[in-house]
Amino acid sequence: MKKTGFWVLAAIVAMVYGLSFNVMAEEGLTGTEIHIGQWGPQTGPAAPWGAVARGTGDYFKWINAQGGIHGRKIVYHMFDDAYNPAKTMAGVKELQEGTGIFAWACGVGTSPGLAVRDYIRERKIPWVGPATGSSHWITPPDRNLFAVYPLYYIEAKALVRLGVEEMGFKRVAIAYLNDDYGKNGLEAARKELIAHGKKLVAKVPVELKDQDMKPHVMKLRQSKADMVLLWVGPVHAARLVGTAKAMKFAPQFMSTSTCSDFPLMMHITKGLFQGVITASFAEMPDSDLPLMQKYKKEVYEKFAAKDERWGVFYYAGILFVEPLVEALKKAGRDLTREKLIFELEKLKGFRGIGGELSYDIYNPKNGYKSRGGMREIFLVQCMEGGKAKKLTDWMRIQYP
Amino acid sequence: MLDFMQMIASGIAVGSTYALMGIAMVIIYKTSEVPNFAQGEMALISSFFAFMLLDQYGLPYHLAFAAALIFSILLGFFLEFSILRRAKEPNVLGLIVITIGIEMILLGLVSWKFGADPKSMPFPISPWESFAIGNVFVSQLEMLTLVVALIIMVILFVFLRYSKLGVAMKATQQNHIAARIMGIRTNRIMMITWGISSFVGCVAGLLIAPTTMQPFMMWDPLLKGFAAAVMGGMTSLPGAVVAAYLLGIIENLFGGYVSIEFKSAVAFAIIVLVLCIKPSGLFARHYIKKV
Repeated sequence: MKKTGFWVLAAIVAMVYGLSFNVMAEEGLTGTEIHIGQWGPQTGPAAPWGAVARGTGDYFKWINAQGGIHGRKIVYHMFDDAYNPAKTMAGVKELQEGTGIFAWACGVGTSPGLAVRDYIRERKIPWVGPATGSSHWITPPDRNLFAVYPLYYIEAKALVRLGVEEMGFKRVAIAYLNDDYGKNGLEAARKELIAHGKKLVAKVPVELKDQDMKPHVMKLRQSKADMVLLWVGPVHAARLVGTAKAMKFAPQFMSTSTCSDFPLMMHITKGLFQGVITASFAEMPDSDLPLMQKYKKEVYEKFAAKDERWGVFYYAGILFVEPLVEALKKAGRDLTREKLIFELEKLKGFRGIGGELSYDIYNPKNGYKSRGGMREIFLVQCMEGGKAKKLTDWMRIQYP
Repeated sequence: MLDFMQMIASGIAVGSTYALMGIAMVIIYKTSEVPNFAQGEMALISSFFAFMLLDQYGLPYHLAFAAALIFSILLGFFLEFSILRRAKEPNVLGLIVITIGIEMILLGLVSWKFGADPKSMPFPISPWESFAIGNVFVSQLEMLTLVVALIIMVILFVFLRYSKLGVAMKATQQNHIAARIMGIRTNRIMMITWGISSFVGCVAGLLIAPTTMQPFMMWDPLLKGFAAAVMGGMTSLPGAVVAAYLLGIIENLFGGYVSIEFKSAVAFAIIVLVLCIKPSGLFARHYIKKV
């Protein structure tokens, strides 16, 4: 009888503990695993940006090879959304409700990100480093969403200032991808030009599936622009620069950091990208920064697929999750989503392979300070052979 | 006026690519009444095959392109023989779904083998160097595309009209059973048709690839070629060609004078319009089959 009583008691204790463990455990977190999710276009027109998700994956492999974080391995769930917001939503829902994700990392594209933002916010899941510099992430801010990528807004401001103030261009036009990403650049350029007493002489939208760029270049040429901002993807930028060459239209092209992978751009434009100026949020591929060298040697050379290239999109996948990994380390073994957010908020002046980054206590009225992430960029010019010439050092631009 | 002339020239230039894709679709449709939605990816894989020979094996242009064209013909033969012909009790809808399936498989193959990064196809002519006629610019590649498209059209026209094989293809299209009774090996005709169509598509692919090469590069030309084929009448080769050039010009004029945002949508608006007003297309004769 005594024995039976003992077993009943043991069973009750086990059930209570088991239940309490289940109740207390975070979704996507076990004693040995942290489940992190990410989407990224591996196919379709935005596929060149797909290297971001692969870079993150290799970085996590490297962390796991060193024993993980506080005894837990990162289980990385990446899916191809083809830059299609409907697919992003379907994939995020499937992983969140099927597998259970502890936190989301990066995610290429403003439109795909916007498609899942409410869903992630409603479930209070941390999301760190959307791979896009849209101001949507901080206006208004979400408590769970931590931007890393510097705003396109400050990139556009910096480029316009360089062009108008230092290079003396009088007529500025823009070709922009007709989505939130492109419209962010358009809006920032428009505002910065107004501040300089000017306005855009042409605003030319480019649709994602457009291939023939002649009509677009004709509009730019008609405007007699001497400086053209390209707020498009790498393939469209290549086609625009090439078509402009074919139509004997030669303004100074400037572009966003999304087209700053110069070796790639030089390759696909057959050398025409030389001279183009872009913003940059990360060190150059041949940087002698010790951390860059370390990532190249230990992450890229050991874990990257055979045909993967050490380009800016690839190591941006590492850069965007550096704050997440730092906060996971600081949160310790008793990890919860709340602790992760707490540790992220404590990051001040953090620097990995990008510009300086800081967060603060959540403040709905000041998204830029509390959730804005990186505030520094620098400007570079594409030179012969895809080499980059730094035109400025890391610089801070006031926002808004 | 200068802009207008440039738009017309640009429209004709881009229309040549649409025309090649339109012809490739019409050739198969004429014999099987199936729009082949794998056409773009058949051209894609052949173009990447040429790229592989040039980039990885260092073959000279003429050998790599010739090998790609032969590959495309064999691919057409293979797909018809091993997949389309095996369809049990085939109906048009089923065959269309099969072509969509082939399209997905070929796209997946190219993405897996060559990755998603854009590539640059080595080509003897620069896509970005142009001829200037007054102040109207046409790139060297566009000029080559125009010439090649016209040559292929003439060859195909003569072939289908005067060669024994061409007449057999026509007979197969008009009445499959009667053609068989008359001794035409219709299965073989179908296979050859797929081979020719794949060859024409490959030519288009090779002429598109030097601009930028990536797995989705044939989507737009395929859709525009299909739109041109529908507009011209799915069974009329000259119809598809004329419609392709019209489409290129309309697109450019629309982009220049009305809205650049909806430039690409014009093709599909035209499909809807043509299907509503003249379902058989602008240039095809409307046949009514006797039961």
